[in-house]
Amino acid sequence: MAAYFVTGEMFQGKGRAKADMKKKNRGRWRKNTPQRKNTPWNKYLTAGMVMTGIALILGVAGFFWTPYSTTAMSASEKFAAPSLRHLFGTDNFGRDIFSRVMQGLGTTIVISTLVVFFSGLAGILLGAFTGYFGGVLDEVVMRITDALNGFPSILLTLVIISLLGSGRQNVIISMSLVFTPSFVRIVRGEFIRLKDADYIKRARMMGAGKFRILFVHILPNIFSVFWVSVMIGFNNAILAESGMSYLGIGVQPPDASLGNMLSDAQGYLQAAPWYALAPGLTIVWLVLGFSLFSEGIRRRAEGKQ
Amino acid sequence: MIKIEDLSVSFGGPEVVKKVNLELRDGEILGVVGESGSGKSVTALTLMGLVSDTAVVTTGRILFDNVTLQEAGRPFDKALYRHYQGAEMSMVFQEPQTSLNPTQRVGKQVEEVLRLHTKLSGEEIRAKVLETFEAVGLHEAERVYASYPHQLSGGMRQRAMIAMAVILHPRLIVADEPTTALDVTIQNQIVELLRKINMEQKNAMLFITHDLHLARRLCHRVAVMKDGCVVEIGTAEEVFDHPGQDYTKRLVEAVPSRVKGRAGAGRKSRELSAAETGSGTSEETTVGSETNEIPGERLTDSRTLEISGERFIDSGTLETQWRTEESGGTAPVLRVHNLSVYYQDGKSPRSQEQAEGQGRKRSSPFSRLFRKQGQCVVWNADFEIYSGESLGLVGESGCGKTSLSKAILGMNRHIEGEIIHNSVRPQMVFQDPYSSLNPVKTIGWLLQEPLRAAGALDKSLAMTRADRETAARDMLRRVGMDERYWSRRPSELSGGQRQRVSIAQALITNPGFLIADEPVSALDVTIQAQIMELFLTLQEEMHLACLFISHDINVVYRMCDRIMVMKEGHIIETGETEEVFAHPREDYTKLLLWGS
Repeated sequence: MAAYFVTGEMFQGKGRAKADMKKKNRGRWRKNTPQRKNTPWNKYLTAGMVMTGIALILGVAGFFWTPYSTTAMSASEKFAAPSLRHLFGTDNFGRDIFSRVMQGLGTTIVISTLVVFFSGLAGILLGAFTGYFGGVLDEVVMRITDALNGFPSILLTLVIISLLGSGRQNVIISMSLVFTPSFVRIVRGEFIRLKDADYIKRARMMGAGKFRILFVHILPNIFSVFWVSVMIGFNNAILAESGMSYLGIGVQPPDASLGNMLSDAQGYLQAAPWYALAPGLTIVWLVLGFSLFSEGIRRRAEGKQ
Repeated sequence: MIKIEDLSVSFGGPEVVKKVNLELRDGEILGVVGESGSGKSVTALTLMGLVSDTAVVTTGRILFDNVTLQEAGRPFDKALYRHYQGAEMSMVFQEPQTSLNPTQRVGKQVEEVLRLHTKLSGEEIRAKVLETFEAVGLHEAERVYASYPHQLSGGMRQRAMIAMAVILHPRLIVADEPTTALDVTIQNQIVELLRKINMEQKNAMLFITHDLHLARRLCHRVAVMKDGCVVEIGTAEEVFDHPGQDYTKRLVEAVPSRVKGRAGAGRKSRELSAAETGSGTSEETTVGSETNEIPGERLTDSRTLEISGERFIDSGTLETQWRTEESGGTAPVLRVHNLSVYYQDGKSPRSQEQAEGQGRKRSSPFSRLFRKQGQCVVWNADFEIYSGESLGLVGESGCGKTSLSKAILGMNRHIEGEIIHNSVRPQMVFQDPYSSLNPVKTIGWLLQEPLRAAGALDKSLAMTRADRETAARDMLRRVGMDERYWSRRPSELSGGQRQRVSIAQALITNPGFLIADEPVSALDVTIQAQIMELFLTLQEEMHLACLFISHDINVVYRMCDRIMVMKEGHIIETGETEEVFAHPREDYTKLLLWGS
């Protein structure tokens, strides 16, 4: 009897000790990584990173390898329904839709990234100078951006494309032009807000040069705001690129892009619904994933402050 | 009448108010003093039932005439409180700007209280409001009644708030820092008004303040709070003259006061210092650098002096001449001669001067009218600052103190007259410690920046990275801060620590001249005392000339050798500190002195 009790207690004690240790370790792990406590990981960030990550891997892989050639036609396999052989089915020429989606995804991601990069850079430069110095330069640049904003963006890109001719390069140029004004406005507003902050006044009193004040003292302070607009801009760029390809002024066939696949699929909605669904859902996946990712980043940044 | 028993309040985490016991009798003014974060506001808000929903009363209870208003473990009773709020107890807040609704006429807002708690008719309500306005000293009652809050001055808004609080003759008035946002002379009037109301209506008043002078003048009894606990309670005389607790002693000692004498009293006077050091600014600072032994000190050799002089001449082409005098004899670090400063509105100073000439003939009630057109804010300022001296600039908000300092630093070029600098690069310390450090940079980076900037302007001053770091670390130590703050960011520091870093940043190049614009106004009393001490030490060590701007005449008394009093753009009185305090010439100065 006594022995039983002893072992029983021992067993219980052991279990409790283990549980205690687990708790302690968890606490210690948290203590050792204070940034985790300050900047909580959230569901948005996880979901966003998983979705964006999958899209990114598929898109980048699409440049080097696709399950089938994106242009190889096959009369015998026209409109094959999704199967293990053809994950998203085949199209009206018997081409593998999954391969084409991979290629289109890559194109879209690269174009959107470059557009955001160029227009963001232009936005920082123009916004910084116009916001900080004001005056005539500010008036001129702001009136030009107003004029650009006055046109419907799709119309404006159409005009630029018709002047420059179609092609990936020109798509990037025209979209960058259209996207710049919004970045200029945001950066300019932040520079105006910060240029009279006490710490900037003091930097001026120390004798820091104008460029140093602009790009070393002020610029790092606007990144939290700028980052949000970059995220939004990237999503808009994805949609705009798809829209342009859909209208036939973006990436030209036979190269695949999500937009021109959608436009080709229009005629076969009844016969092969998967043809339209595959690129459509891919766009949704990419934009949703990225939105979640940026929301997660935003919440994390707010948690820090 | 009011009894707070063992009250503890928590916002989910640790308790912010711990076991507070307070008792308040009819007709009594109880002062609650303490530094920010001591729980005095939370106690008052809990008493009023205005604390946010996340707060929980964890122990104790609040009794009003033996009715339990709140108790630990009992949910907050909104209906019960609604009966008391406004009618039996009312509150005056700190910010008269934000506590009135900007879209409603002031009269309507005050009427609201009567509408909710009485059954008077519209006419009676109106008559009662006007009567109360008169009683709180709003003499143009009709006009105030029909005004929007932005049309009234800060003092008038606070009077309207008080009218709202007393209109139903409540038995308890809670005043949470009611005078903190106001100028000294207005502050006095409000305090007198509160005292008068208390005498006439015999209601109890809970007066929360961080200003010990005020508490002493107004309150019958005083409770000192620290970290959520009441550490001492007693009559005002007991607490302030014979404090029983160490904390109270420290608090009372930290308050700058004329009774306790000044830091500069033992120091040599201006003439003496000038005569002693004799050979002028540049040598004086070099003498300073020998004792200081930091590498950054070599910024103050005479060559830099010339260079900075040229720079000023280059940039200051408008009506003014910036020039560096050959430093010899008793040359002042700064000489301001006949300086007028204009409000920046894009007009040329000339046309402003003409408009000014017309405006000046008008009588004073119109002075606000022509200032609106963007006119002269400082008239014919004329003064000098000598090495090692601190000159205090006292005046109320809007009197032109900041405009004057901006003009001296060359941040405002709409000026006439002469500003002659004899120092390297004058620096400034601002009031708000939260906005004067770049939030994305580390403390180490911030401290090195002035050295980097100096090196970029003049190659001969360029320092190696290691030298810069040593100098910056040394400066950090000299302002009394630990090495471990080196890689932290400003958001991780307290207000006092930030102000220390600001001072370090301003002094690391040994500028010789510093403008301090209300550097301690945003800080708690004990921190305030520490920062003032730091200022005095550094000033002594670096032989620094200082223009010390403040609205608090006691702070100026402690810090400064000479005082300038400014009113509506004019410097109305200048003199040695002791003399001005002992024999003020101007009525306005007397008013300021009496007020504190």
